[in-house]
Amino acid sequence: MDYAISLDKVSKSFDLIREKHLSLKSALLSLRRVRAQRVLGLNEITLAVRHGETLAIVGKNGSGKSTLLRIIGRVYRPSSGTVEVRGRMSTMLALAAGFHPELTGRENINFNGAIMGLSAADMRDKIHKIIDFSELNDFIDSPVKTYSDGMLMRLGFSIAVETDPDILLIDEVLAVGDAEFQEKCYDRIDAFKQAGRTIVFVTHDLDAARKVASRTVWMTAGQICADGDTMQVIDQYLHSLAQVHEPAQEGIAKIDSGGG
Amino acid sequence: MADELRELFKYRYLLSQLVVRDIKVRYRNSLLGFFWSLANPLLQVATITVVIKYVMQMDIPNYSAYLLVGYLPWMFFQMALLDSSQVVLAHRDLLRKVYFPREVLPLSVVAANLVHYLLAMVVFFAYLLFYRFFMHGAPIGISALWLPVLMALQTALVIGLAFFISCLNVFYEDVKYLLTVLLNVFFYLTPVMYPAELVYKKLSNMHSLWLYKVYMLVPMNALTDAYRKTLLPPIRALTIKGTPVTSQPLDYGTLAVAGAVCILVAAAGYAFFNARKSVFAERL
Repeated sequence: MDYAISLDKVSKSFDLIREKHLSLKSALLSLRRVRAQRVLGLNEITLAVRHGETLAIVGKNGSGKSTLLRIIGRVYRPSSGTVEVRGRMSTMLALAAGFHPELTGRENINFNGAIMGLSAADMRDKIHKIIDFSELNDFIDSPVKTYSDGMLMRLGFSIAVETDPDILLIDEVLAVGDAEFQEKCYDRIDAFKQAGRTIVFVTHDLDAARKVASRTVWMTAGQICADGDTMQVIDQYLHSLAQVHEPAQEGIAKIDSGGG
Repeated sequence: MADELRELFKYRYLLSQLVVRDIKVRYRNSLLGFFWSLANPLLQVATITVVIKYVMQMDIPNYSAYLLVGYLPWMFFQMALLDSSQVVLAHRDLLRKVYFPREVLPLSVVAANLVHYLLAMVVFFAYLLFYRFFMHGAPIGISALWLPVLMALQTALVIGLAFFISCLNVFYEDVKYLLTVLLNVFFYLTPVMYPAELVYKKLSNMHSLWLYKVYMLVPMNALTDAYRKTLLPPIRALTIKGTPVTSQPLDYGTLAVAGAVCILVAAAGYAFFNARKSVFAERL
């Protein structure tokens, strides 16, 4: 079977160092190494995503959803296990990361394409499609600091889909803008799927997951709790949320009072 | 290593975009643009010239040319290294979201500063020509053809150090403070404000010429000396306490050794950076 993404027993642990940035002094003076607490972010994840599949990853905060996405996207290197990705991958960037406020929309499009590993020639071919899709023709040569959040999100979505990656990774925001533009996003995602492209997205928006994902993975504590048909997995997930509703509330209250 | 270089080549458009972005952002909102980046070294050189010639009354003909020829390469060295200490942190949001070869970040600040340096050198040549034709200054000799070689070696050195510094600053945030202090000290130890002959003279009087050899192993010392000797005629009428100091010709053996050190630093920096780059996203 030809998979777009395959993970084999992938674990990821992090050093929890109280101060992330050490000073040279503390490094030089302390004879022992700084004792780091190891935290297991992902625990032996095995997952295979076929070409053309749209996979949603759901789960509570801290369940390892975003870590999993970053492992797939090569941002993190796994502590153990292997990751294989076949095809050109790009990540839909959230607002702050990919755009420079002083530069124009057009300049930012080129920069974002470059981050995805495209060449100058690729961008010359694609930039018109990106601008057309974003419907920002009138503003494209203005600095993006003059854009509204909605405009920025439209630009980000347009770059992600119109650069035509084989695999698209999305964290949180799927369809953006007003209702009309959101429909356009969903249509574009459908066309993307039809073309045999793979999408992996992390979301709290279960309606969005139901709408586009053929398959859903539910993560808990760094492990896959359920993996399968979107409707079934989301029902299970909602069911578990309803069951632990009361204790979870207490837990949150305790943390709040402890922290305050 | 071969895979890493191939991937870096694939991302060359990102590198050029980072450089263009750096330059555009720096000058977009300033009317005088590039002249701001020139104003600082020119003002500095003018100040030092006034102090040396009129306050300390050391009479070196055309001192400002001898100073500039060392000061402009030093500015490139200093600015590129200071920028490199911040470049990974400045792109923290991007690093945490998306993969790209991390090497492009230090390379981009070196390249952006190299562009400024090249423009500054154009202005420097205009200055030399002005002196040549209007103030009866010295002609530019054939040895000026060494300039691209010297610049290439210095760029290799700066790239290597930028790899070390940008990487270390992810783990130890006081690297940038240490760097500022070291750059200050080395500005005075490097023969920028004075010719290397004075160091030679002093050390030969002390019968420690071996120390001069060590001094010239520091690549910036050898390079600064070589820039000066290939671009300008020998300094005339240089004296210490009344005794004339003879100017030394450029020693190509010393330059070759310094060049080898530059390339070694570049290779070591690249290896050091690559061995640690995969954990940047977790440490930021």
